[in-house]
Amino acid sequence: MKDPATQVSRRGLMKNLIASDRPKRYAMVIDTRRCIGCQACTVACKSEFSVPLGESRSWVESIEKGNFPDVGRNFLPRLCNQCEKPSCVSVCPTGATYKRDEDGVVAIDEEICIGCKYCMHACPYGMRYLHPNTGSVDKCDFCLHRVEQGVAPACVNTCQGYARIFGDINDPSSAVSKMLETNAVSVLRPAMGTEPMVFYIAADSSDERYAERTGVYVRVETNRRQQKRV
Amino acid sequence: MLEIHWGLPVIIYLFLGGLGAGAGVVSASVFLRSHAGDASEGAFDIARWGALIAPIPVIVGVGALVFELGSFAVGDMFRWINLFLTINLSPMSIGSWLLALFVIVSLVYAYTFLGSNSRPGDEHHGLRKKMAWLMVPLGVGVALYTGILLGAMPSRPFWNSPILAMLFLISALSTGVASILLMRCIFGGSSSDAKGVEDSKYLLSSTDMLLISFEVLVVFLFIMYAHLTVGGVEHAIDVVLGGSLTSLFWLGFVVIGLIIPILIELKYVLPRLLKQEHYAMPHAMELAVCMLVIVGGFMLRYVVVIAGQVTGPIGI
Ligand code: SF4
Ligand code: SF4
Repeated sequence: MKDPATQVSRRGLMKNLIASDRPKRYAMVIDTRRCIGCQACTVACKSEFSVPLGESRSWVESIEKGNFPDVGRNFLPRLCNQCEKPSCVSVCPTGATYKRDEDGVVAIDEEICIGCKYCMHACPYGMRYLHPNTGSVDKCDFCLHRVEQGVAPACVNTCQGYARIFGDINDPSSAVSKMLETNAVSVLRPAMGTEPMVFYIAADSSDERYAERTGVYVRVETNRRQQKRV
Repeated sequence: MLEIHWGLPVIIYLFLGGLGAGAGVVSASVFLRSHAGDASEGAFDIARWGALIAPIPVIVGVGALVFELGSFAVGDMFRWINLFLTINLSPMSIGSWLLALFVIVSLVYAYTFLGSNSRPGDEHHGLRKKMAWLMVPLGVGVALYTGILLGAMPSRPFWNSPILAMLFLISALSTGVASILLMRCIFGGSSSDAKGVEDSKYLLSSTDMLLISFEVLVVFLFIMYAHLTVGGVEHAIDVVLGGSLTSLFWLGFVVIGLIIPILIELKYVLPRLLKQEHYAMPHAMELAVCMLVIVGGFMLRYVVVIAGQVTGPIGI
């Protein structure tokens, strides 16, 4: 975590946030068809970062739907989207939250963050929480400390169904590039304009509003303290 | 229901910051309009009260804000300094600098009015005038930015409206006027210049009336446009159109803070406006109007801050 290279703060005026000439551009594809909702990634993430009780950097929601006997159960793993246009970065008054020039990961310098919580409002995906020990905001950073050593993020490493594919999309031979080239993908809440770098295959967007519209029974479980999806 | 990250400290700050900035702007503009207080004793008196009020609520509000900081909560008293080691385009960054400047300028401006024998053209005159010129843009900036701060995020559909900042600005000015009137009401004492006192009271009440009418219009536009949209914004505005904050918004803010005060003011301002009769609002009425406007201003911040947080983007 304390690797100085990952802790560089980005003070100064806001830079051009989209830079496709970055040496690396990390992205993740989540193939929900391969996810069985075992929560191994949730647990791996919790222990990797000693995430405090009641908070989470990454979790798996389940969507239960249909009327017997025509029923289905889908899973939706959630994590920070490392957005290309991160609204959390553009509101941060101290420069503590920044998008890294080297790989596009959105990181937080916990020594600079004052815990004003502005970014927690700005993230349309509810990915941020206030760490009770540091008083700074924390969230998923694609396991920068691992990735910088050439190791896969904890959630990717532990996923038994290979539902999470992580890599550099600047490298056309990477698995993630190939997945993006050959599959129909979507991102969450595209209308928010944040241009996520986490892509989903067959993400189920059913929720209460869908249930009202179609008359199909739907139950969304976040499987975390926040019972309502954020 | 989503979680509330910004609670009472932020609400109090938005309210007090607006009130102080509003009082400062009103004071400085009355002062400058009346040829630096030469035109009438009443105008100078308004300017004086506004100047003395302005820094206090802003400083108290900023103090409250510190309690909302995560860093402060874990015992790191001074990490907030990081705000002032940089400047960027975040509304909060620009707002912090504006606030700091406003506090300094408003303190100097108040200082020029401090002595009980301060009067137009005394030894502080030059400084007072310079500060008044700074007070207007800084005060408007502080009042506006609080709305921009909330409005900057598509992820908060209730706040994500360009007119919210306008609403906050008008509410700031109107609570500012009310606070000046209230102070004069309570501590004003008797002045030899009865005509001057009547004129200045009339000026304040009619200004307040005008401001509240604009506020009613802006509230209407805010609600109407949100309701006419489909999707997240419409869903969010439902929280005051039948949702959990409906009665607080309509009774606490619209009726108590806007409708009743404007009706009372109309009753007393209209005779002078239309028929050039004497303006004589009873003391008790004056007190009541001021209190209502100030309570309404608080309710507005309360409802807006909470409503923005219990609603969010719809769908996934
Ligand atoms: S998902 Fe949220 S926290 Fe992550 S980069 Fe996007 S806006 Fe920021
Ligand atoms: S809580 Fe920290 S990271 Fe978030 S906006 Fe405030 S200073 Fe920046």
